[in-house]
Amino acid sequence: MSEGGKKPAKGQALAPVPPDFDEQTYLRLNPDVLVAVAEGKFRSGREHYEHYGRAEGRLAFTPGGLPRDRVIITARPGQADAAPRVPAGAIDAVQLSASGGLYVIGWVNDALDRLDAIELYVAGWSMAFSAAGLARTRRPDAEKALGLQQPHAIGFWGFLYAGQRLMPGKCNLVMRLKSGAELAVIVSIEPMEDLALRGVVLQQLAGGHYPGPSYFNAVAAIEAGIGEQLVDFSRMLTRRAVSAPYIERFHQPGRALSGSVIVCLFGKPDYLILQQALLARQARAGAYEYIYVCNSPELAERLQKDARIAHLTHGLDITLILLPENAGFAAANNLAASHARTDRLLLLNPDVFPKAAGEMARHLELVASAPPAQTRLLGAALYYDDGALMHAGMYFEADRCPGFAMARREDLTLLRVEHYGKGAPAEDAALLRPRFVPAITGAFMSIARDWFETLDGFSEDYIFGHYEDADLCLRSLEAGQPAFQSDLRFYHLEGKGGARQGQHEGGAAVNRWLFNHRWGALAARALMGPSPSHEALQGDPA
Amino acid sequence: MKVLIIAMYHPELVRGGSQQVAYELFQALRDMPGIAPTLLCSADHNSPAMFKSGARITGFDGRPDEFLFLSHDYDYVWQKLPLPLQAEAFVDFLRRLQPDVVHFHHFMTYGIDYLSLARSALPAAKIVFTAHEFLTICALDGHMVRKTDGALCDKASQVRCHQCLPQRSPEEFFLREHWMKAHLAAVDLFTVPSRFMIQIFADWGLEAAKFRHVPNGLELPAPVRETAATPRNRFGFFGQLIDAKGIHVLLEAVTILRAEGFSDFSLEINGENMHFASPQRRQEMEAFFAKEAAKPLEAQHVRFNGGYHHSQLAARMARVDWVVVPSTWWEIFCLVISEAWACGRPVIASNKGGPAERIADGETGLLFQLGDARALAETMRRAATEPKLWDKMHRAITPPPGRAEMAAQYLDIYKDLLGALSLAAQ
Repeated sequence: MSEGGKKPAKGQALAPVPPDFDEQTYLRLNPDVLVAVAEGKFRSGREHYEHYGRAEGRLAFTPGGLPRDRVIITARPGQADAAPRVPAGAIDAVQLSASGGLYVIGWVNDALDRLDAIELYVAGWSMAFSAAGLARTRRPDAEKALGLQQPHAIGFWGFLYAGQRLMPGKCNLVMRLKSGAELAVIVSIEPMEDLALRGVVLQQLAGGHYPGPSYFNAVAAIEAGIGEQLVDFSRMLTRRAVSAPYIERFHQPGRALSGSVIVCLFGKPDYLILQQALLARQARAGAYEYIYVCNSPELAERLQKDARIAHLTHGLDITLILLPENAGFAAANNLAASHARTDRLLLLNPDVFPKAAGEMARHLELVASAPPAQTRLLGAALYYDDGALMHAGMYFEADRCPGFAMARREDLTLLRVEHYGKGAPAEDAALLRPRFVPAITGAFMSIARDWFETLDGFSEDYIFGHYEDADLCLRSLEAGQPAFQSDLRFYHLEGKGGARQGQHEGGAAVNRWLFNHRWGALAARALMGPSPSHEALQGDPA
Repeated sequence: MKVLIIAMYHPELVRGGSQQVAYELFQALRDMPGIAPTLLCSADHNSPAMFKSGARITGFDGRPDEFLFLSHDYDYVWQKLPLPLQAEAFVDFLRRLQPDVVHFHHFMTYGIDYLSLARSALPAAKIVFTAHEFLTICALDGHMVRKTDGALCDKASQVRCHQCLPQRSPEEFFLREHWMKAHLAAVDLFTVPSRFMIQIFADWGLEAAKFRHVPNGLELPAPVRETAATPRNRFGFFGQLIDAKGIHVLLEAVTILRAEGFSDFSLEINGENMHFASPQRRQEMEAFFAKEAAKPLEAQHVRFNGGYHHSQLAARMARVDWVVVPSTWWEIFCLVISEAWACGRPVIASNKGGPAERIADGETGLLFQLGDARALAETMRRAATEPKLWDKMHRAITPPPGRAEMAAQYLDIYKDLLGALSLAAQ
């Protein structure tokens, strides 16, 4: 390739020019040189020949004119572009959050000449996104404008968490291709709130138009870097959210407590007062304290009122923990657990409540009487409103996606969490049999407080919610304590207890990637399918 | 014995059946020796002038023992009031009053959880709940009429309710049922004005043994002095001009009779609140009345008289022979039947709910297939033409329950409940 436009290093010897060199013929044979000369990069064809053309083996003359009816090669392959072509491309946005989250999105037509890096030069700082770490998406709008016939993922987006405050402002942004060709543009960096930026990025992750099976490729897209950056960024936001909670307790002093019910609220305030009414009818309802931790700050006033009414109406011991931002399921539960007053934590979703009037009492009896191995981490049978079983423990399956749809990626395998008995008849004896299972849902999770603390609670690496329950169960399994599925019976109006938006789908995709990353190998070895081979799960506890 | 009667709205601020019955009971109990009744009625945005700054409960118009519960921001979806200050004021009110019996005639504008709240404030008091409709079961105004096809609903379920109110999920209705039942558990005894309701509540899962049947009693108009008019071909409608009252069925029956060439009858429509009817039904009624009024006098069969005060009732009743109750919902009790009977008017009614229970078909009145205009037309034609039918039914009418009779029944219930309490204490 010609070093179009660059001067030779000092002292480099110039090749002699043959006596029959003809400027006109050289420029005609090498149109890229003609262009480079026209652009002023070289004074003449002769200068180019001296510095590069001869070394590149370019023809400088055609003896007797061109032979007829056949092609002659006038330069070595790949070296015939004195001025590499500027790619077509555009930047949609560069956004920078207060704590240093950096997001770039745009497109570049690199169908033939692949993208190498996106470089940002800003007053005071610079950075380059490697193309390998970018997510690639389809851009039907640009594809149409370019008249591309073959689908190619010309869109890209990237995210990086710098972990420090950076100044926004004007940015020289360079899209650099493997050939060295580049497209340079000047963009204004848009300053953003941290939470807003996380929302934008997660929404893009969930909503981007990925080639091939879209969901797989969304997950695959973050594997080479974005995933880790997002987890890092989100962990910082989570720590910030739980660092300054508002806590209010509604109770009468002097009550002996045996268990701590922990409920994480999100989006829907009604569930506090509804769940309190249903739990209050339970035998031994007063032996529990009820800790409601809320990830939706906009519900604060409403929840304070409702907790006060519920306490006045039912007299149960309620602690309300209000967070200033959404800290996600894991961190909110960890925080609530740290405020519990008993040795037994019972994590319930807001849309979970007992199927019969004695279940809350039975839970306490079970915890008091069964062997510790069967109560340290305890699940329940959960039912839909329609009467069918919804959950009798969880196991793992794998989804495979062939790599050919994903441009040079390897085949992708993603773990999928499945519930035993989803949709099964209510009284399926095999499903309801108390037994050790690979995992249980966080919708109902009874756990000895010391064991929860030994495990360091839920991993706060998971964004918003999903997979942190299975993660905790697998860490427990690795530490020698598999989850135990009991025959306690609760309703779970699955998915009705919170409010989800696009960014939560993005969070779920990150979590799936993370879960897969952490547990894929163990699952492949010993945890695949409804009857996994893991030795801790063998045998009958009875 | 101290009795607290709780009603939705004061009947003198907002008219309606349940508050009327609650007020009749309050008045009757006040006349009984040894009974100290108190009335707590809600007021809301319908009566803004009743609100006093910072007050949650206040008096009413200088009347002893009558109070207003100042409700606002009510949550009609879950039937609850999201105001802790109101809840605290209610608890204070109950504790100060220390009633032996708390008798709810409604929970709307307070919240279904006020049943539990009353139980929590007064653990020893007896709680009586009178159901004047099916609002605990049915989120669609408690009418139990299927929005899908207008059929009467005899069983709620999460999917069936979702079909009537598609914006709410089946799970929400499942939760609603549990939420309602959680608070109904605080009730010691339920009463209903008609027996058929007990079966519907029992099918829904409440214990039938906890229900008593207490017909609604009213101060009734004096009997009408009869003229020896024959034939008995004058029909009358009394009540609100809302969809569920079925005026459209009655007007269609008139059209059918005329098409059959039968025109020897008259119909008088007495009532108001046409603005609460659906736009379609309202338009139908208005068009019918306008077309009728444009006819020559001798061709007019239907006359629209508009609303009436209680004092005008007897005079209006005297102008008709039969009272027609063409309701298209589970008419719960039908105070109009009591009023018609008090005036000696036999009733022609839809064959469901309270009317079907109260009227012996062919003896004290005539029933027709609910919603079926052709069946009503046939029944009206028979009533207008069959000799001696009216006289037979007029004589068979039994006097409807009055206010004192109703209060006596309630008093027995209170005594039973408190007797059970004192027995338990021994």
